Amino acid sequence: MKTMQKKNKYSAGIFLIFLLSTTSCGDLLQEDVISAIGNDYLNTPAGINDGVNAAYSSVRIWYGTEAGNNFTVFGTDTHTNGADGSWKFMNFYDSQFDSRNGHVLDVWNEFYRGINTCNAVIDRSVNVKGMPEATLKQRVAEAKFIRAHNYFILTQLFGGVDLRLKETVAPTKEVTRSTVQAQYAAIIKDLTEAIPDLEAKAKATLYGKATRPAAEHLLGKVYLTKSTSEAKASDDLAKAIPLFQNVINNYGIKLLPDFGLVHQQGNEINDEVIWSVQYTRDPLTNGGGNNAHVFFLMEYDIQPGMQRDVANGRPFKRYRPTTYTIDVVFKDKENDSRYKKTFKDLYLSNKPGTYNTSFDGSKTKVTFAAGDTCIFLPGYEMPIAERATKKYQVLVPSRYDERLFPSVSKHIDGGRIDRTQFEGGRDYIAFRLADTYLMLAEAQLLSGSKDAATATINVLRRRAAFPGKQAAMEITAAQLNLEFIIEERERELIGEQMRWFDLKRWGILVERVQKYNPQGAPNIKPFHVLRPIPQVQIDRVTGNASAFPQNPGY
Amino acid sequence: MKKHYLLLGFLLVLLPLQFLVAQSRSIKGTVTDANKEGLIGVTVSIKGTTVGTVTDENGNYSITIGSGNDILVFSYVGFISQEIATGSQTVVNVTLDEDVQNLSEVVVVGYGTQKKSQLAGAISSVNAEDIMALPVTNARQALQGRAAGVDVVQAGSKPGSGPQIRIRGRRSFNATNNPLYVVDGIPLSDGIDDINPQDILSMEILKDASATAIYGARGANGVVIVSTRRGAAGKTVVSFDTYVGMNQSLGNIKVFDGPAFAEYKRESRRAIGQYPLGQATEADDAKIFEPVEMESIKLGRSTDYVNGMLQDGMIQSHQLGVSGGSEKTTFNITGNFFQDIGVVKKQDFTRYTFRVNLDHQINKSLKLGLSTLFVNSARNGENFNPLGGALAENPLGKPYDDAGNLIFLPTSDGLRTNPFAEIVEGAQMDLGNRFRIFNSIYGEWQIAKGLKYRVNFGPDFTVTRTGRFTGAFTNSQRGGVATGAVEDRFTLNYTVENILTYDKKFGSSHNFNFTALQSFQKDRLETSGISVSGIPAETQLYHSLGSASLITGASTNLSEWALLSYMGRINYDFREKYLLTATVRADGSSRFGTNNRFGIFPSVAVGWNIARESFMEELSFVETLKLRASYGAIGNQAINPYQTQALLGRTSYAYDNTAGFGYRPNTIGNPDLRWETSTTSNLGLDFSLFAGRISGSAEYYNTVTTDLLAPQPLPTSTGFGGFITNVGSTQNKGVELTLSTVNIDKGGFTWETDLVFNKNKEAILELANGKVDDIAAGRFIGQPLTVFFDYKKLGIWQTNEADQAKIFGDKVGQIKVEDFNKDGKINADDRQILGSAVPNFAAGLTNRFSYKGIDFSFFIFARIGQMIRSRYHLDQNKLAGRYNNIAVDYWTPSNPTNAFPQPVVTQEFPKYDNSLAYFDGSFVKVRNINIGYNLPKSVVAKLKMESLRFFSSIQQPLIFSQYITKYQGVDPETWADGEQGVGGGEVSGSVSPAIRTITIGLNAKF
Repeated sequence: MKTMQKKNKYSAGIFLIFLLSTTSCGDLLQEDVISAIGNDYLNTPAGINDGVNAAYSSVRIWYGTEAGNNFTVFGTDTHTNGADGSWKFMNFYDSQFDSRNGHVLDVWNEFYRGINTCNAVIDRSVNVKGMPEATLKQRVAEAKFIRAHNYFILTQLFGGVDLRLKETVAPTKEVTRSTVQAQYAAIIKDLTEAIPDLEAKAKATLYGKATRPAAEHLLGKVYLTKSTSEAKASDDLAKAIPLFQNVINNYGIKLLPDFGLVHQQGNEINDEVIWSVQYTRDPLTNGGGNNAHVFFLMEYDIQPGMQRDVANGRPFKRYRPTTYTIDVVFKDKENDSRYKKTFKDLYLSNKPGTYNTSFDGSKTKVTFAAGDTCIFLPGYEMPIAERATKKYQVLVPSRYDERLFPSVSKHIDGGRIDRTQFEGGRDYIAFRLADTYLMLAEAQLLSGSKDAATATINVLRRRAAFPGKQAAMEITAAQLNLEFIIEERERELIGEQMRWFDLKRWGILVERVQKYNPQGAPNIKPFHVLRPIPQVQIDRVTGNASAFPQNPGY
Repeated sequence: MKKHYLLLGFLLVLLPLQFLVAQSRSIKGTVTDANKEGLIGVTVSIKGTTVGTVTDENGNYSITIGSGNDILVFSYVGFISQEIATGSQTVVNVTLDEDVQNLSEVVVVGYGTQKKSQLAGAISSVNAEDIMALPVTNARQALQGRAAGVDVVQAGSKPGSGPQIRIRGRRSFNATNNPLYVVDGIPLSDGIDDINPQDILSMEILKDASATAIYGARGANGVVIVSTRRGAAGKTVVSFDTYVGMNQSLGNIKVFDGPAFAEYKRESRRAIGQYPLGQATEADDAKIFEPVEMESIKLGRSTDYVNGMLQDGMIQSHQLGVSGGSEKTTFNITGNFFQDIGVVKKQDFTRYTFRVNLDHQINKSLKLGLSTLFVNSARNGENFNPLGGALAENPLGKPYDDAGNLIFLPTSDGLRTNPFAEIVEGAQMDLGNRFRIFNSIYGEWQIAKGLKYRVNFGPDFTVTRTGRFTGAFTNSQRGGVATGAVEDRFTLNYTVENILTYDKKFGSSHNFNFTALQSFQKDRLETSGISVSGIPAETQLYHSLGSASLITGASTNLSEWALLSYMGRINYDFREKYLLTATVRADGSSRFGTNNRFGIFPSVAVGWNIARESFMEELSFVETLKLRASYGAIGNQAINPYQTQALLGRTSYAYDNTAGFGYRPNTIGNPDLRWETSTTSNLGLDFSLFAGRISGSAEYYNTVTTDLLAPQPLPTSTGFGGFITNVGSTQNKGVELTLSTVNIDKGGFTWETDLVFNKNKEAILELANGKVDDIAAGRFIGQPLTVFFDYKKLGIWQTNEADQAKIFGDKVGQIKVEDFNKDGKINADDRQILGSAVPNFAAGLTNRFSYKGIDFSFFIFARIGQMIRSRYHLDQNKLAGRYNNIAVDYWTPSNPTNAFPQPVVTQEFPKYDNSLAYFDGSFVKVRNINIGYNLPKSVVAKLKMESLRFFSSIQQPLIFSQYITKYQGVDPETWADGEQGVGGGEVSGSVSPAIRTITIGLNAKF
């Protein structure tokens, strides 16, 4: 019995320990965040740096993505839809293109997350201790650059949006649409304030960060765009011109001698780049990657003698150049090297063998050794007799369709890990000096300086020439008009996510689509110069559409 | 006999059994029942020792006792045990009385048991007999149709996947609607499916506030208390239970065969003038079909890819158990092997469980015990869903070359790889391993008469590991590089509970029982994972991720939560006639802000045993008539940890190749977050008439849940998508009916029927802005928590409606949807509520027949009035003439149907295709037919066995549903809430087909 008693006490003791262990600590329910980081971190110097990094990542939703491309390439005069993809309605402008469109929501959400991040950095910078003042100023300037950038694209797409310039610190559903005027005022203020505090260098110390020329290029573009908008002011062009001139003259940014080098893979960091959105080969920092490499390509991979490989790319066949692009914009294939250097005109066999021909009726069979020319796109209607003499298939314009067409090759990414990888690693060149020249020429022309404009544009024309054809490429002031610039911009910038904005700026979106884009022509209406506000946004605002109206027509 | 002692060998080492040296005096006798028939297998033991024997087939026994002071104990399941002092007797004959107050009369309630007659709360029970009757793969399945108010649905047959359970509807938008599972007293944080159903003695489902309030903050969705089998003093029983069965697919949705596909492809071109109208010709075909398709058309070759993905599966379970013990120590030990091989290739689930339940009386006042469960399971193919690709595959392709080698691209379509490549050995691996040790340990101290202290300690360790490998020649890699990933999760959860109970009877009429509880539970989950691409040799699978060329992700995470609780309960009854139960529980949760950490949840229940009133004496056919009423508040805390805090989110960027990781505001935080509270009133009536020939209960309940923990969407221009807050309220009202009848009980033939019925109406009462719909979140006042809100299809625009179609921007042959607001255009405002995945009612009907050892039963289950969204009608219904399509009746100028739109090669999918997917999901199923045979005791005894039963069953022999008969669909049973990659109320190709299972098995006891 004695041992029993002992046991008894012993057991009771254990029970007591349980009791004590659970009741004595007062902080049992304390919730400590360990894996995550609390919001106060943004009040520190490291937090400010990280906040700015986060702001930059928001621009990746636009550059090199399907959304950014569909918004700017589809539904224009120079590209129409290819065979594949779920977004053709953005080219058709039909009633499927409505406020529930996933792209408008993705871009809206991510740009606003970036804007809120910028707001947080700007608001909190006031109280940050322990950061050198110049660094802090630069960070704030970067945040303003990103904020202005995001608002500029939102304004062009949607008109007046929710103009938020303060961090959202408490949940609110009381938001309203501002005006285009207010949007531009805020954008211009941000960029004007940012310019002096940004690095005055061609390439930022940390490559990819916003620089003074980048902000000037953007501000110039803002003024140029504003000059035809409902917020236009008489001095817009006058303010734009010196900004462009600064970018061209002051920082050592220069046109590359050869147009073909600008988008050459491996040459993403070059003297012509003003600002590029950064992508890498490291999946840990690459996010969704630059996807632009897939959208423009034709279906080469099922043709006789060909199979899909990394170098030729993964062909999504989304964007097909219009007849206008091939026949008018790139009419000059003799002197101007840009057709050859923009479109992929040659495929070399990577699947040797003998095959029946698939599209070239000038022969019935073709035989290839590895590396033989397999498909050639001359860009003109080569006669059948001439085609018959070739040992490969010749793809002529009359045989172009939604699957077979000249492919813009600027974004082809042969550095991907395999032929399937969607997340490309090439930087997306967002601002480059050729665009600055073209915008300068446009501003000069529109403000009456035709000679200066001609001189400006001839710089680009000479660069674009085949060797020895420089003189033939030059134009006279008499040849220069807005129509010329409308074409010249696409010769230079096709596939670089600008065309839709350009057409909108010139006020000719509807007429040009009707004229040159047969798929979009029947449906496009004047209201299509604005995109639909995401339904989700409207549904969530207190007062819904009465407080946050949809753009007309949607 | 020797054999099973051998089996016990290891046990003897574990147990400190004392073997007494017998002094030779022999006692004999016969044990009979009230009808003077000998009882076989009665345990006869000497009290306080492990010495014992059992009666033979005639009820005779013989035992050697130590002295005249020894007391013989006669025990037999279902009978009242008797103790008889031996004195100087040498013959002791005993008649055992049947225990009328048997197990079913005692109900497990939280933190204790209660006599059913004293119960005032709403509790349903499912016993071992029901669970063992079916070859169920997990405990939750056993509840289907068995307990009123418990809605159990299973989507498809993927091995290892469990059903979804909703008790009395759904209350919460964001917090879980899953009930709380309590196993052997320990609230589970996760993983009820680890419990081997054959180890379960009973499951009690607590439904009303009175019953669940003792689980306070976690009781709002109901509580399922699972008790596992424990040993009983007496003879050691060895049991062997086994079954083996075959799983057969009930088929998938039909897609076009070769010729139909060819015609569909032509039609898709005719629609835009790329193929001439009229009879197809080879010359025209050659323009749109590629050579392999042409060859197939010529040869009449058509490949059924879906069928090639399917196989006959198999299910098996084998369980060995040993149970028994002495007066002081009892034990129950089981080991089980369970395997379910699915009907989709590469999907299977294997589980090994080992359970030890042990109870030991240290002395008169101290007792301790444990139940320990070891589980190791392996699940293949949880995320492997090859059917969607197979359904979409062009049937005119060629899957194998003439030498029998797989052709990776059966057609030239770059997106479509050979579906058979997915099931090539080694092409893919998706394996989830689970290791768990779940313990419930208790100590009990009888401090004084009526006063008892108990401590429960429940450490629960779970390690899960998921490994994935995707080889190059799969659809996701399309000949690229192989990728792999592993994720490990380590969970430690422990519960410590201190329980004090006091029983006291005042006078002869007043019975008091008081329970006090203090409890603490803590959970710590650590995860780590890595994913790579470029695995050098595919044979390495995911076992050498370090050698891959690229790390694509690496992560670790820690998540912790804790719950501190206090509870008090008083049960009082006056002569078991008037009953009162009052409880209050206070829960403090780490998940809430410091301002609102503790919630208090009171409840009260009263009961009136009318049958015990004197005025009822004349109505002698009424044995039980009890009216119950309860009212109380219960909570729901089940949101993820860290929701009250404003946190930053990680972003990635780079400057050239310098990493530029960042942080940005990610959640807005809400320090005022507090409990969701469900206030429930319940009215119940229990009855039993004509000596139990008719019995059952009826319940009416009304639950209003307020302060919903709901993600409140914000305009995304604020930089946030929303935040979690307490808003709005929901209501669940319903009736439940349970009716058991003994229809025939004559001459050894019995026919019994059980019916359960429940009807629940789920409705949103208020949202963030009061009684205003929240369209963005898809929530509507007066509607269930989730509804299908979309365009309504009216038909197809016919040729003579071209002008009208044009007004809406549509074309002839396209879907005509309703202009709901009649404004002459179709836009987001024309979406309407089409239905919901919530049924109008559900019912289960069981009929049991038995005659001389043969038993036969069948179980019918119905779920009526819910809508389903058929993803087949979206994912496999693009009608673009590219991928294969479900075999629908599509519109053509010469087939002016209103069923499905015209195939058009230029469309990626039909306009308004979402409107094609909604169907009535009602079904009636014969869930199973069961036949069993218990060998007569005399035969069994000759085999030196205690009992032997053979059984066979067919699960799901018949499904009646309009979706199947009228729309050529599949089994419409699916989850109301989205789960495991399938949206709420959806049926899809990601769900493995429903199956029919035919099993045979036996239960043997030695």
